[in-house]
Amino acid sequence: MSDGVTVSARAGVADPGRPEEDAGEPALLVRGLSKSFEATRALLPLDLTVPRGEIHALLGENGSGKSTFIKLLSGYHRPDGGEAFVGGTRLAPGSAVSSHAAGCRFVHQDLGLIASETVLDNLYAGVGYPTVLGTVNDRAARRAAAGDLARAGVDLDPRKVVGTLSPAEQTAVAIARALRPGDGGGPRLLVLDEPTARLPEREVGVLLDLIRTVSRAGVAVIYVSHRIDEVLEVAQAVTVLRDGQKVASRPVAGLDRAGLVTLLLADGAVEEADVSAHVPPADDAPVVLAASRVSSAALREVSVEVRQGEVVGIAGITGSGREAILPTIFGGLPRFLGEVRVTGTLVPPQRPDLSVAAGVAYLPPERARSGVGGQTARENLVLAGLRKHWRWPRLSRRGERAEARSWFQRLAVRPGGAVEQPLASFSGGNQQKILFGKWLRLGPRVLLLDEPTQGVDIATKAALHKEILAAAEAGACAVVSSSDAGELIAVCHRILVMRDGKVAGTLSGKDRTLANLTHESFGTRSTSAPGDAAS
Amino acid sequence: MSRLGLDRFSALYLGAAFIVIFGIWTPHLFLTMSTVDTIASSQAIGAMLGIAVLVPLATGVFDLSIGAVVNLTAVLAAVLMQRDNWNMWAAIVLAVVVGVVIGVVNGFIVVKLRVSAFIATLGTATIIGAVQTIVSDQTQPLQPSSTLWANLTEYQVGGIQVIVFYLIVVALFFWWLLDHTPTGRQLYAVGGNPEAARLSGIKVDKWVWVSLIISASLSGVAGVLYCSLSGPSLTFGSALLLPAYAAAFLGSTQLKPGRFNIWGTVIAVYVLAIGIQGLQYVTGVQWLGDMFNGVALVVAVGFASMTPVLKARRAQARAALENARAGRAKTAEPVGS
Repeated sequence: MSDGVTVSARAGVADPGRPEEDAGEPALLVRGLSKSFEATRALLPLDLTVPRGEIHALLGENGSGKSTFIKLLSGYHRPDGGEAFVGGTRLAPGSAVSSHAAGCRFVHQDLGLIASETVLDNLYAGVGYPTVLGTVNDRAARRAAAGDLARAGVDLDPRKVVGTLSPAEQTAVAIARALRPGDGGGPRLLVLDEPTARLPEREVGVLLDLIRTVSRAGVAVIYVSHRIDEVLEVAQAVTVLRDGQKVASRPVAGLDRAGLVTLLLADGAVEEADVSAHVPPADDAPVVLAASRVSSAALREVSVEVRQGEVVGIAGITGSGREAILPTIFGGLPRFLGEVRVTGTLVPPQRPDLSVAAGVAYLPPERARSGVGGQTARENLVLAGLRKHWRWPRLSRRGERAEARSWFQRLAVRPGGAVEQPLASFSGGNQQKILFGKWLRLGPRVLLLDEPTQGVDIATKAALHKEILAAAEAGACAVVSSSDAGELIAVCHRILVMRDGKVAGTLSGKDRTLANLTHESFGTRSTSAPGDAAS
Repeated sequence: MSRLGLDRFSALYLGAAFIVIFGIWTPHLFLTMSTVDTIASSQAIGAMLGIAVLVPLATGVFDLSIGAVVNLTAVLAAVLMQRDNWNMWAAIVLAVVVGVVIGVVNGFIVVKLRVSAFIATLGTATIIGAVQTIVSDQTQPLQPSSTLWANLTEYQVGGIQVIVFYLIVVALFFWWLLDHTPTGRQLYAVGGNPEAARLSGIKVDKWVWVSLIISASLSGVAGVLYCSLSGPSLTFGSALLLPAYAAAFLGSTQLKPGRFNIWGTVIAVYVLAIGIQGLQYVTGVQWLGDMFNGVALVVAVGFASMTPVLKARRAQARAALENARAGRAKTAEPVGS
């Protein structure tokens, strides 16, 4: 995988749409592609070659230039310089049409599926159905859909409604849609932007198999992920970006986790958070959060007690009630029965304002629901607890700004000091840090964190994990609900596993292993295979 | 471009251009103190109503009943004084209280009955129209003749009618409320993302309700002032609704683009008024006001949706659309691969 070696020989541009002739061409060849936004250089001249059928991982922390690179390929951005060839066809700069015609296909983290419609409708709504006299030919459409799904290695009834599918199946539908043939020369390059970020551990394997199937058919795959273990498992080669610059591009063989992390981070290895390095709370520590027999549409008599200084995890597959538990305790979702007490005080259902007043902080899983995108980072940071800067007759903007800056510094938000920029202008990971800061500044008694590090890079993730542990050590307590088992094991003293709306089991101490979590989640707790141990 | 602020201050530049153009065109008519006073005082009510609709807009809801409230309170004040011989202050207080009550009812329908504010206030506006017919008995009441009543708005202070100073007070108060208090911050947060606001512990329902009470109350005050300034009218209020929205939306493209704001709204009202007044002097036609306001509303909303955040989102949507189109175009021609 040495880049740019064969470049000089390739002067002409191959005729598009004839795959037989470009068998020798790499699926993707990038020469000196670069892009700046005003003063910031998002991507320095980049060279990259991806042969046909290769799964090529693209790694980099938030803001390293991955997204910029993908957007250059998709024609969303126009490069400042350099060029890209897909299967020998030169991409017209900044043209989505050219990118698509050359065979680039993209599946973004937000899959862009319509949950209330069937798989069939999702496959064809964008491109037109097979029709007879303007009427949708249902049978032909179903047959074509089955073919498209089979080609992507998915076994699904196209009449199923997308919303009823598992997250992995939904991702598979999005991939099948992207790979639909008949568009130009057919797909040559599939770009997957964090396809597993929203997937529970168990379903990741399904998706990785699917990706292997796709690559065996000769389609090159660019695989963007923050999950290093997956990269080591599925990719043949890896390119690492840091601050817009390529720091490495090499075969995965011979690399290990530590090696990759070193490449990713400028200042060497990140020190990952580890709850076992912290003293667990004493048994007689006071109970801060006590939820007893909480029932709702998704929950059946769930009881949780969290002591001061404790971090409790919530695990469970999609539909187990895991997603409902924190919002129901907080008051974001209706609670039918049961009590929630914070340091002994009853908190009524569906009253987030009273929960906040009682010292509870809740970070929702979707950032779109937790921040006001159009307002500035400063305004978002101080939104809960505005009174702190109230000096009759006005809010002290200077005080707010100073506080926002100090949180930016503490949480290493980038771009640093840009506290007056709208929240929506920050990258996902940085938005998450700002929203973390919004709650940490209140010094809450209880932190309810729903998927706190989804789509966040390793350094940020470790930093946020340390903040959670530090808050717990300083006398708060936290409940972390996550589909990332590694995260739960890293920060939680105790993990509750949800199944069918109930707490099915509790794991603590040495029992907090990936294997145990999986078995509890699926209710298959037998003698676990020793090979399954956690990383 | 950004240094001159051509985007954020475009209305100010436009206003200056109007003054220069019409000043040169018809100096004897346009460049007079009486024109200044006419525009300033005749638009003070419009600006107050712009502020009245701005508060619920900032909170993310529409109040379409403000025109009807103006009509009702104007007629009510006149009827009470003329027909029932009420004391002026008592009549004013009752008229304003009616405005407040309408706001409370609007809020109840929106918050408790969960009817969208757009529909709810459209409904109450029609009901208020019916009530106005009952109160006025279908006849336009006469303008109360007391000088005190006329002086309420027309008293001259330094060559300017006192109503202009009322506007300044109202604008200053709401600027303070929206930009410098926790209340304003919470109203904007509710308007920006109600779910995020709710999960931040903000009482969304309360602030929606409060914003509707503010708009109706301020409209009630405006109705009384309107009656004092121009006499009771059975219909004029509804003609004020659209300009109020035009001003609020146009205002949201000014000074702080993407955010409904007080001074942008006030500027928008006056720039539109200067343009309309000047054109009327030059051409003498009557349809200009409607034409100008309608065009301004559509153009303003068009610009308002071009704020940076929305712009980015749109570009994304467009790219996606282009991708889909590319796909469709290609499926038309059979290609073997």
